[in-house]
Amino acid sequence: MAAVGSAKVALQVAEVLETIVSCCVGPEGRQVLCTKPTGEVLISRDGGCLLEALHLEHPIARMVVACVSSHLRKTGDGAKTFIIFLCHLLRGLHTITDKEQDSLISKNIQTHRRHWKNCCQWKFISQALLTFQTQILDYIMDHYLSKHFLSVFSSSTKERTLCRSSLELLLEAYFCGRVGRNNHSFISQLTCNYFFKSMACESGFEEVFDLVDDYFVELNVGVTGLPVSDSRIVAGLVLHRDFSVYCPADGDIRIVIVTETIQPLFSTSGSEFILNSEAQFHTSQFWIMEKTKAIMKHLQSQNVKLLLSSVKQPDLVIYYAGLNGISVVECLSPEEVSLIQRIIGLSPFVLAQASAQYEICNTALVKFCKPLILRSKRYVHLGLISTCSFIPHCIVLCGPVQGLVEQHEDALHGAFKMLRQLFKDLDLNYMIRTSDQNHTSSPPTYKTSRESNPLPEIVSGLIQRPYQGTVVKNKGKLAKTQTYLKVYSNLVVPNVELETCIPYSTPKVTPTDTYQTDETLRCLPPTKTRIIDDSEPFIESNSANSIAENTGIEISYENLQVTKMARKGSMLPVREKSLEMCTSQSYCCSTLPAGCVLPVGGNFEILLHYYLLNHARKCQQSEETIVSMIIANALLGVPKILYKSKKGKYSFPQIYVRTLHALQTSQPMVSSQTGLESVAGKYQLLTSVLQCLTKILTIDLVINIKRQPQEMYDQDSEEEV
Amino acid sequence: MSRLEAKKPSSCKSEPLTSERVRATLCVLKGILTSSYGPSGRLKQVHNGLGGCVCTTSHSSALLSNLPVTHPILKILTTSMQNHVSCFSDCGLFTAILCCNLIENLQRTGLTPTTVIKLNQQLLCLCTSYLKSESCGCRILVDFSRPQTLLCLVRSIVTSKPASMLTREETDHISALVLRAFLLTIPDNSKDRLILGKSIIVPLKGQRVLDSSVFPGILLEMSEVQLMKILPIKKSDAFKVALFCASLSGDLSDTGEGTVVVSSRVSLENAALEQLLNLGRQLVSDHVDLVMCQKVIHPSLKQFLHMHRVIAVDRIGVAVMEPLSKVTGTPPIGSLGSISPSSYGSVKDLCPAKFGFKHFLHLIPNEATICSLLLCSRNDTAWDELKLTCQTALHALQLTIKEPSVLLGGGCTETHLAAYIRHKICNEPESILKDDGCTQTELQLITEAFCSALESVAGSLEHDGGEVLTDMKYGHFWSTQAESPSVVNWPDLLSRCGCGLYNSQEELHWSFLKTTRHPFAPQTCLPHEATGSANNLTLDCFTAKLSGLQVAVETANLILDLSYIIEDKN
Repeated sequence: MAAVGSAKVALQVAEVLETIVSCCVGPEGRQVLCTKPTGEVLISRDGGCLLEALHLEHPIARMVVACVSSHLRKTGDGAKTFIIFLCHLLRGLHTITDKEQDSLISKNIQTHRRHWKNCCQWKFISQALLTFQTQILDYIMDHYLSKHFLSVFSSSTKERTLCRSSLELLLEAYFCGRVGRNNHSFISQLTCNYFFKSMACESGFEEVFDLVDDYFVELNVGVTGLPVSDSRIVAGLVLHRDFSVYCPADGDIRIVIVTETIQPLFSTSGSEFILNSEAQFHTSQFWIMEKTKAIMKHLQSQNVKLLLSSVKQPDLVIYYAGLNGISVVECLSPEEVSLIQRIIGLSPFVLAQASAQYEICNTALVKFCKPLILRSKRYVHLGLISTCSFIPHCIVLCGPVQGLVEQHEDALHGAFKMLRQLFKDLDLNYMIRTSDQNHTSSPPTYKTSRESNPLPEIVSGLIQRPYQGTVVKNKGKLAKTQTYLKVYSNLVVPNVELETCIPYSTPKVTPTDTYQTDETLRCLPPTKTRIIDDSEPFIESNSANSIAENTGIEISYENLQVTKMARKGSMLPVREKSLEMCTSQSYCCSTLPAGCVLPVGGNFEILLHYYLLNHARKCQQSEETIVSMIIANALLGVPKILYKSKKGKYSFPQIYVRTLHALQTSQPMVSSQTGLESVAGKYQLLTSVLQCLTKILTIDLVINIKRQPQEMYDQDSEEEV
Repeated sequence: MSRLEAKKPSSCKSEPLTSERVRATLCVLKGILTSSYGPSGRLKQVHNGLGGCVCTTSHSSALLSNLPVTHPILKILTTSMQNHVSCFSDCGLFTAILCCNLIENLQRTGLTPTTVIKLNQQLLCLCTSYLKSESCGCRILVDFSRPQTLLCLVRSIVTSKPASMLTREETDHISALVLRAFLLTIPDNSKDRLILGKSIIVPLKGQRVLDSSVFPGILLEMSEVQLMKILPIKKSDAFKVALFCASLSGDLSDTGEGTVVVSSRVSLENAALEQLLNLGRQLVSDHVDLVMCQKVIHPSLKQFLHMHRVIAVDRIGVAVMEPLSKVTGTPPIGSLGSISPSSYGSVKDLCPAKFGFKHFLHLIPNEATICSLLLCSRNDTAWDELKLTCQTALHALQLTIKEPSVLLGGGCTETHLAAYIRHKICNEPESILKDDGCTQTELQLITEAFCSALESVAGSLEHDGGEVLTDMKYGHFWSTQAESPSVVNWPDLLSRCGCGLYNSQEELHWSFLKTTRHPFAPQTCLPHEATGSANNLTLDCFTAKLSGLQVAVETANLILDLSYIIEDKN
């Protein structure tokens, strides 16, 4: 069975998902209870988690879920907004479809079947969206939005110091959307405290985030049965196991890490041990015992009080350790070992050293080492002395049920992911092509192709920042050329198959990394006009400027090839042209500095909405205008839901009007809510949604293969007992 | 994996609490819980139709762990209560009933969950800060020089578990035993940190409850034959003990991953046994009197030791090892090599004992914090309940050592707290309303729901159809006998309040719990002499009840906040 028209179906799917997700959005959001087939219950407000739990069947829905989870892996936030935004975009597209039809589809196509016509139309739109995402979005972010950004760093100097109050606001806003509403302030305070306690110096906060994110499981302990308010931060590292033997010790406590059993065994793998007499058996047993004893004695003489082992040690080792006053913790996971190694910079101790009676160099000092009892379960509590910028602290999370504890754990982990993302610079690189107003010099064929081409890669404006000297040099010569605006972003550019959309030639373009256009561009020449689609192969995912420069040169070479090919069928005078065009590209590399934030409550959305509308008013291409309008309107969906329950002065229309007025008169914006959110996260969300939408729109047919359902055998075994 | 199946889509339900089925099941659960609450609570018999043991109980942990619940909301509720009980042992039913009441009452208000949860949390904060404050009128500080308070606490816990079927005399006996067992676990000379010992509960079914007793040290159960072999024990001073955790059965230890080739004339068993006998010789020459082993002792070694008049006890099991090493004062020996003399421990005395039909070897320590509580009961189900009760009481005592205060029991804390909150909200609503956009009416509604939930927990202590009342001075809980005349002189009909602190001869005014009252300020700050003089107070563990209150409100908030249930049907 084939389902026709993915956009319409996708809208239905997205609307269903939206109704579920929108009840969890924002500070007023509520919880959802998920049960697993194993009987566990999970409480969640996390969009990603909910979507996974639904086990959706519909292929489009599954694709959406896959897009959401790939977005979440990157940023750890924004699943719910993703769905809402996607839904509004689809809705917007749906309503304007009829209007757009004429502008997009050339008349020749009217003979085709209506369905395929529709598909082509969706394809146009999807390409327009892609162009928007790769070209206009960065431009607007850099030019207009950036002046509104705030920073979480307290000073504008080179040295970046975190401002505690802004971090608090940021976390507060984050947890508002992730945990139950009576716990969010407590949890965010806890996270903030944890962060500032764990940070050794002001400058090393990035390392702390990386470490906490990587080893989050090892750094928190969940306790059920206690009220949430009993959650706390404990100094030192808590290992999720008990001592095998515990000897109270104070003063200088040295620790060693071992990764093998200390007791020598009769034979190691691959070797053979031949017993010839009973006496030999006795002596070898005696030797093993003495050897173990000697090693433990030696450890004791080196003041070692704690032995951390990644393997299970034989009973004899445990016994002698106890006799020598050495506490032992066994069966540490590889993650725990590597975390300890990262914190104290200690490498595992090699047994060969012990026999040589040298001083053991692989030891480290700890402040304390004691059992910690949480709800009658015993843990090992170590006061590690850190050698890096992370001072070890653990979070003890309490809750009445396991589901709630897990929710808080996930939220905390997500928060650290979000912060980690926030403190990375986000590159906004784009290339500006100034479209000059008189197209007289450009060949008429090209012009027609432009008209039917839904990829409006032109942004009116000036060359933002001439990138290279050569570019500037060339610029003088080329008075009447087009400069290209291209975006080089460090995001993963979607591997969407970009088919060129000229309706009557069906060019096959496969995305390739090499610039062998001989293969990539195969135009069929049955028509009168010759169309060069040079918007195609420029997609590049490098951010480094030097690389960008290189590709510029490559591209010029390649354009040469294109035009050469083109010559075969027509007499286009484009050779020099194409060269000029390419040399005049100008790259703009700007970065969204790390730590950019905006106040919560839909500020980002309203701002982007405003500037997109402005932009749409300015630009000439109808497609671009329309796409910008759709996106601008869809952006408002999120704040509308956020303010749904508010009345009077705080209702959405009021807020919207006030903000727009403030923007028009360039007054500072007033936000009704406290709390901050990451701009980079929002930006990435937007690009992810647009990518997802293009993916949906490029599908024209869903083919459902009905497989023979497999027999189920255990139907009757699970009767009520 | 033999078979792959496509995952079935989950079912998704919105607004679960509004469904009639959920309400009905919640109501049934509440009914089960309330009817079991308190000293006069009704017993529940839980059994499944396919055999298995029958459990007669009114104890929350036994009840909740045996009740299979299917609906996710009930699952959340019951697991939450079970987690609470496993942390604190006590106040499980209180927590569960309060949680059910809160869900029911707050849902009835019809306000948005946001407001409900926010205000509920505020009221909880009010409660906890009052209970922790100096001026709290329902909290008593424990004076450890007077064991009376602790005894009252234990007795309240024992009486509140009617399924252990104790008479008044038996109750007193068990309470005293539990307290003594607890006191024996407190070390004499504690330094800066107090490390409590352990009381081991030894079962003895089929005897009279009054035969139960407490012994310092450990009772090791063994068969009569074994014990006869050991006898007679004659020695005046301390006994030397060797406690092994390594196996003395002559097994070969782990030989590593490679291969071990044994030539045919070599007998490893003989070699191992020879090693064991060497060890035996050393034990004998070191004048050890008692050898105990966690695992198995080789029969030859046993025989050898017996010949040299050394008592050998094996298969002790890992659970008793820690108390044993405390009693003997030495860590267990883990090696079969030569034993240093310092590895031996000692006990003060060793004597056989017979209780009922069981024979024990009684190890009496020099000084240790280990004691054995020999619990007798007539039948299995009553014994199970009695054991749970004693464990609960011991745990409550431990918690009280940590946080030396107790709360008034018998429903008085609940009604007092409700009166305090009503008064506080009526007089200073600004303290709660100041920051968020809730109206005074909303606050009034939520307060009423919250307080009546608390009061109906107290009210469910009464099962015999009597009237439940509260006084207008202290805010305590009073209940009458059933079928009392309608027009009465209250002071004659009522004798003492629920906790037993006040009697009805004072100039008091009463009001029915169900009716609406004028908010009044309950008298705070308990008079010191009142708590000192009263001998028969009903008391509750402070830590357990406080945490129960918090957990109940948090769980209720959680359940009220649910907007969807996604059930994975795979």
